[in-house]
Amino acid sequence: MAEIRIENLAKSFGAANIIKNISLTIPDGDFCVFVGPSGCGKSTLLRLIAGLETATSGQILIDGRDVTALEPYDRHLSMVFQSYALYPHMTVKENIAFALRTAKTPEAEIAEKVAKAARILRLESYLDRKPAALSGGQRQRVAIGRAIVREPKAFLFDEPLSNLDAALRADTRVEIAALHKSLAATMIYVTHDQIEAMTLADRIVVLNEGQIMQVGSPRELYQRPANVFVAQFLGSPKMNILPARVADGAVALAGSAARLAAPPGWAGLASVGLRAEDCTVTAPENGVLTGTVVLCEYHGSGQQLLVDTAETGRIAAFTTANRDLGAGNRIGLAFSTDKLHPFDTGGTRLA
Amino acid sequence: MKAHNTLRWLVFLGAALVMNFPVIATFVTAFKGPGEVMKNPSLWLQAPTLENFITVFTISDRLNIFAYLWNSLVAALVGSILPIIVAFPIAWAMSRRGYGRAVLFPLIVNIRALPLIIFAIPLYMVYSATGLLDTRIGLGLILAIVNLPLTLMLLVNAIGEIPLELEEAARVDGARLPRMLLRVVLPLCRPAFVTTFVFGFITGWNEFLFGLMLTTRVAVPMTVGASFFFASSGGGVQWGVAAAVMVVAALPPLLLGLIMYRRITGSMVAGAVKG
Ligand SMILES: Nc1ncnc2c1ncn2[C@@H]1O[C@H](COP(=O)(O)OP(=O)(O)OP(=O)(O)O)[C@@H](O)[C@H]1O
Ligand SMILES: [Mg+2]
Repeated sequence: MAEIRIENLAKSFGAANIIKNISLTIPDGDFCVFVGPSGCGKSTLLRLIAGLETATSGQILIDGRDVTALEPYDRHLSMVFQSYALYPHMTVKENIAFALRTAKTPEAEIAEKVAKAARILRLESYLDRKPAALSGGQRQRVAIGRAIVREPKAFLFDEPLSNLDAALRADTRVEIAALHKSLAATMIYVTHDQIEAMTLADRIVVLNEGQIMQVGSPRELYQRPANVFVAQFLGSPKMNILPARVADGAVALAGSAARLAAPPGWAGLASVGLRAEDCTVTAPENGVLTGTVVLCEYHGSGQQLLVDTAETGRIAAFTTANRDLGAGNRIGLAFSTDKLHPFDTGGTRLA
Repeated sequence: MKAHNTLRWLVFLGAALVMNFPVIATFVTAFKGPGEVMKNPSLWLQAPTLENFITVFTISDRLNIFAYLWNSLVAALVGSILPIIVAFPIAWAMSRRGYGRAVLFPLIVNIRALPLIIFAIPLYMVYSATGLLDTRIGLGLILAIVNLPLTLMLLVNAIGEIPLELEEAARVDGARLPRMLLRVVLPLCRPAFVTTFVFGFITGWNEFLFGLMLTTRVAVPMTVGASFFFASSGGGVQWGVAAAVMVVAALPPLLLGLIMYRRITGSMVAGAVKG
């Protein structure tokens, strides 16, 4: 197992700069998740680490050793591809054993390791089938099995769950988390599903347009997003961003008469972020903002409202479901300053 | 509905008869005795006989049909297998690395458009200088060149259809180039190998001009040997014997095609990547 360090890594395809000067350290044994919108370069970054793409500039170090110029077979990583990439002419058993055979592992040891991987992934009864005779979920488990029989320096997963149904996805997510615990391995996991990111990661790397937006634990990212992009990328519904400024030591939301005490360091305030679940519904006259409910979705544990405020546009709010707030109701929304995320004009967090 | 179907089959049958008339006529003639060949031009046999076939297989003092068959078999095998061995690595490099795609590939493929016989004279001289003249291997080598363009083209396409991720997965799994080629790419090209082998073998077996030019006694292939039977008695053409020899000559490639047909079609990459 190994630490992976990336230093000023850049990659362009022709004129298009896909990865722009990324530096990142993934400590030994970390479960690191890359998230970001489609096309932001997650797969490209993973493929650079695997050695399947050559870097335009910068370095990749595994356990302190510069591997930038090495071929994939000399990097000792294992990878689960977004498309599974199973060898169609080999049985499940042969697929899983391929890397071990390549490394000239003794047959007895291969049999033992394949059996163990098959047990973990519940593939025992499919070992003699070809991939064509497997369901999507089974294929995906074979792809994972192929990666875990080895003892690589790190595991790379490229959206391994993206084509599974909800139930299987949840199950496999748990399996992968358990696997990480039992192997104590460094894992890099690409996804654009934020639930996967939040639940699996020790550390999340949020990418956008080939750049790192923020690195941190799920809690850090959710509670203290470094910028508007991260704030809106994590959390569902996405965070409300309200235009605001600080005047006379108080926060003034655009179009609202209410004044909230401004904490220190908020001087350059341009907007505030407010999560839906941090809003409380009040009578119209008691709210910081007032508006009309346009949409009310009942979620069981609560209800999600879309409130049209005259002042700041539409705001998403999540409240308890003990009062039915159908569309057309006029309500107030209240929140305290410590729930607000302050951002400057560039969208960067202030304090 | 039923009458409709019957009519359809009658039309098919009629068309098949018309289009295959020469083949059927030859086949039928092969079973006619010498007298009947001259008197009865119809497709209906009056007195079917194996006499012609017996003649074909027994006048072996001068014309040894077994030798011709053997020569054709060896030459056609060399001519169909050798280009596969040669073309496979080239096809991979062209398909995956783009080597020679711009010039070499179109050039090789266009060899097919040239009548190869324009190389006859230099080839004859090279063959006589190297001792390849009138050898089965020599004939096989030239057949390999005849087959190379089609083989290369089919293999380039076949390799292009293998998902790149499979090769990438193999490389991440620790496989260097030779192992990746042998264990991942090669097995997945099997349908293409069968196709090129069958086409190459048939082309090789049926080749006539080089067989005529480059062989004299030892390595005469079936196609050339068959023509000897036409005038085997010295005088006029013995049509019955000629027809029988053609049937014998046509059988091996026909059988090969029938046996291999089911393996030609179909892809091997099902289940490799998600749709
Ligand atoms: N070989 C290539 N040549 C040119 N452009 C490429 C190549 N590979 C990727 N790109 C471009 O790089 C960008 C990032 O692609 P990448 O596959 O890394 O995105 P991603 O973040 O994994 O997206 P997704 O979530 O959809 O998988 C895309 O705009 C893509 O078009
Ligand atoms: Mg991707």
